[in-house]
Amino acid sequence: MESTALNGEMILVMAMIGLAVFLFIVEWIRVDVVAILMMVTLPLLHLVTPREAFVGLSSNAVVSIIAVIIIGAGLDKTGLINKLVGPIVKLAGKSPSRIVVAISLAIAVISSFMQNIGAAALFLPAVQRISKALKISISKLLMPIGFSAILGGTLTLVGSSPLILLNDLLVPFKLEPFGLFDVTPVGLGLVVSGLLCFILFGRFILPQGSQEGDFNEDGNNAEARGLLPEVGETYELRTPDDFTHYRDPVRVEDLRRRYLVNIAAMTEPPDYKLFSPPLDAVIRSGVDLLVFGRHKDVQRMAEKEEMVLKQAVEVFKEDAAEHTSGTVEAVVGPRSPIEGKTLRQISLRDRFQVTPLAIYREGEIYRAEIGDLALRVGDAIVLHGPWKRLQLLHGEGSLLFTTPIDVEIMRPEKATFAALWLAVALVMILAFKIQLSVCLMAGALGMIITRVLSIDEAYRSVDWRTVFLLAGLIPLGIATEKTGTAAWIAHSVLAAIGTVKPIVLLTIIGVLTSAFTLVVSNVGATVLLVPLVVNMAVAAQADPRMAALVVGLAASNSFILPTHQVNAFYMGPGRYRSTDFLRAGGLISLVFVLVMIGMIYLVYGV
Amino acid sequence: MAIITISRGSYSKGKEVAEKTAQRLGYRCLSRDVILEASGSYHIPEIKLVKAIHDAPSVLDRLSGGKRAYIAYYQSALARLVQKDNIVYHGLAGHLLLKGVPHVIKVRIIADLADRVRQEMQQEGVSEQDARSLILKDDEERRKWTLSLYGADPWDSALYDFVIHIQRFTVSNAIDFVCEAAGLEQFRTTRESQQKMDDLALAGQVKAALAMLSADVAVTSEYGNVLVFVGSDDRLARKLRDKIKTLIAGIEGINNIEVHSRTAVPPDAI
Repeated sequence: MESTALNGEMILVMAMIGLAVFLFIVEWIRVDVVAILMMVTLPLLHLVTPREAFVGLSSNAVVSIIAVIIIGAGLDKTGLINKLVGPIVKLAGKSPSRIVVAISLAIAVISSFMQNIGAAALFLPAVQRISKALKISISKLLMPIGFSAILGGTLTLVGSSPLILLNDLLVPFKLEPFGLFDVTPVGLGLVVSGLLCFILFGRFILPQGSQEGDFNEDGNNAEARGLLPEVGETYELRTPDDFTHYRDPVRVEDLRRRYLVNIAAMTEPPDYKLFSPPLDAVIRSGVDLLVFGRHKDVQRMAEKEEMVLKQAVEVFKEDAAEHTSGTVEAVVGPRSPIEGKTLRQISLRDRFQVTPLAIYREGEIYRAEIGDLALRVGDAIVLHGPWKRLQLLHGEGSLLFTTPIDVEIMRPEKATFAALWLAVALVMILAFKIQLSVCLMAGALGMIITRVLSIDEAYRSVDWRTVFLLAGLIPLGIATEKTGTAAWIAHSVLAAIGTVKPIVLLTIIGVLTSAFTLVVSNVGATVLLVPLVVNMAVAAQADPRMAALVVGLAASNSFILPTHQVNAFYMGPGRYRSTDFLRAGGLISLVFVLVMIGMIYLVYGV
Repeated sequence: MAIITISRGSYSKGKEVAEKTAQRLGYRCLSRDVILEASGSYHIPEIKLVKAIHDAPSVLDRLSGGKRAYIAYYQSALARLVQKDNIVYHGLAGHLLLKGVPHVIKVRIIADLADRVRQEMQQEGVSEQDARSLILKDDEERRKWTLSLYGADPWDSALYDFVIHIQRFTVSNAIDFVCEAAGLEQFRTTRESQQKMDDLALAGQVKAALAMLSADVAVTSEYGNVLVFVGSDDRLARKLRDKIKTLIAGIEGINNIEVHSRTAVPPDAI
């Protein structure tokens, strides 16, 4: 392609790219809204035709992604994944490294045909359970597993959004599309090397277990009950008969604020028991209280408020028994409707009568005034209440549960159908060489028809944010190519770096994409860089398909900052801070680029 | 039994009322002691502290937030000194710095401008015009100071429990009123009100300890559970979380401390 002189249109396109990148970074408006902004502004500026502006919505990539999401939701509903975890863990035994390897491989495989974040969400409950049961610090488990979910997305062409996009982006250049398993050799290399990093260097790059004596504080059977010692345990107290005589009314919320002790239940004489009392309920004389809190806080409360702390739970023995009520950790997932809201706003306590005890966020625990904290993705909320009510909350769907609540396999009989349709889709892709999007949609349709999930559930499961993000950025990519901007930038960059061997060029592209993906999301990086690198490759006489492939793969190289959905999601339950990602992510990112280039060199011989 | 704060403009006989009331009730009388205490505890030269307390914030102060740190030190010292109760305090902004404590009686003493001018003329030997403008300027400084730091006008009677005009009432009358008020049931120190006082003192100490890092935080304490509110500065929040254990190392009585960012600050926070 000849390089043309810089003209007005090109400058406009570059300005639009600049604007999009800027908005992505400052986050003044949400990323999908930025994409829609592009979708509308580009045709208005005559940089693309109106048809081109919306071609993204009907692109194979977007349809494939929608289908993949629906298939993933179908698998989720059947609890198929949970069934798999059991045998895997048995196979792995008790050694932490073997468990990490086993689960990581499993999640990598699953993530190769599901959305990475879907796979991550599926596995979280199981990993939490394993962590508690085998007394392995959760921080040692989640990060490798989360990274493997991301790396697993490089195993097939449907594993991650950038790769799904790839073929669509190659069309304008009339380059041959990639097959489903064309990337698998490289992907395998990446997954294996990532795992090796954690096994060999885990000691140096992983946080060494968030709290010392994780399970030893507070003595009394904390281990046996598997409770979180920082949050406390159940105790029973009684208020003296003259409790209300010499003091202003003491309410449930007062005790919470003053002592960080939560009232789970109280008796109302003569013989009524009130569970999860409202915050403004007054504590009366001569009542029994079932409370939840740290031992020292409960003791302090008993002393100051002149209550009697009993040796053991008596009145509420049945209600506090392990089979009736307990504590769970629920995580705010990436598309949770309660993101950005506070617990008070969603009236969690009133609606479900469970007690929020604490929130874990970025390695910190919050116990005070948690009703006013705006919830973020990755926050882990510790809840206490009767199992029945916790299950109701689980069913409501706005939180992902991670602890001993028996995640009931909701539709076991559908598991066979789910697996069947997945197989059908795969066969169609491999054997009959039908277009990816058609096969995947067929699989999704099959699941809906056999009622693995209902059509409404399917609609609800689709993440419109990703859809519009993709659909909106595709025209930007088209504009870049159409106006010759991509060619121009490509030539300018090549002029700057001079003639280099193809393999060096690919490495530079890999590093560039890895940096870009941290700021503009993986699809943004892919859409913007593919036209660019194809031009560069052609001008430098390297293989343009390989250049595009590097972009598609490196766009998943997002480990340093918790910007990738999976990382953000695992932060709360894993008790990670941003710095933890810097260490581990730094190493993995470096290894990623090296292995990727190495494998491409070996397998494709550039 | 009670804590009495007496707020006054210059030459309003406020000091006299304060001292004589303290004498009669057997309370301790505080004024300058707070500056000394703050200066000693936080190693700030007295002069700097006095200037910060007396002068209204200039533009530079507003930008640097330095003044707020000094106020934090002052408030912490004041809260700790009055914590043991039975105090008469006459100095700047007692009614504002001790907000939320039920057994604080907030008194304001005012006097006629003409009287005050006459006294200033006598004391400083200046002309009437000069005296008047000096007094008005001083009043204006204090008003600006209080307004900018607390959004309150010291001449707003709603801030006080009662206002006594020394001219119509004599100093002796004033002392009688205040002493009677101090003996009333509603101002008696109860367990709850003492707890509030202790919490305020604790919050003050924490805020002063954090003032080294930033005075742009709001602190509350309830029964020793301290919350630090940071607003939307995420970097500051992170720095605070990292350093908070060392910063509060010497402070006793903290049962739990958390740093919250991007949440609404409760009105009783300091």
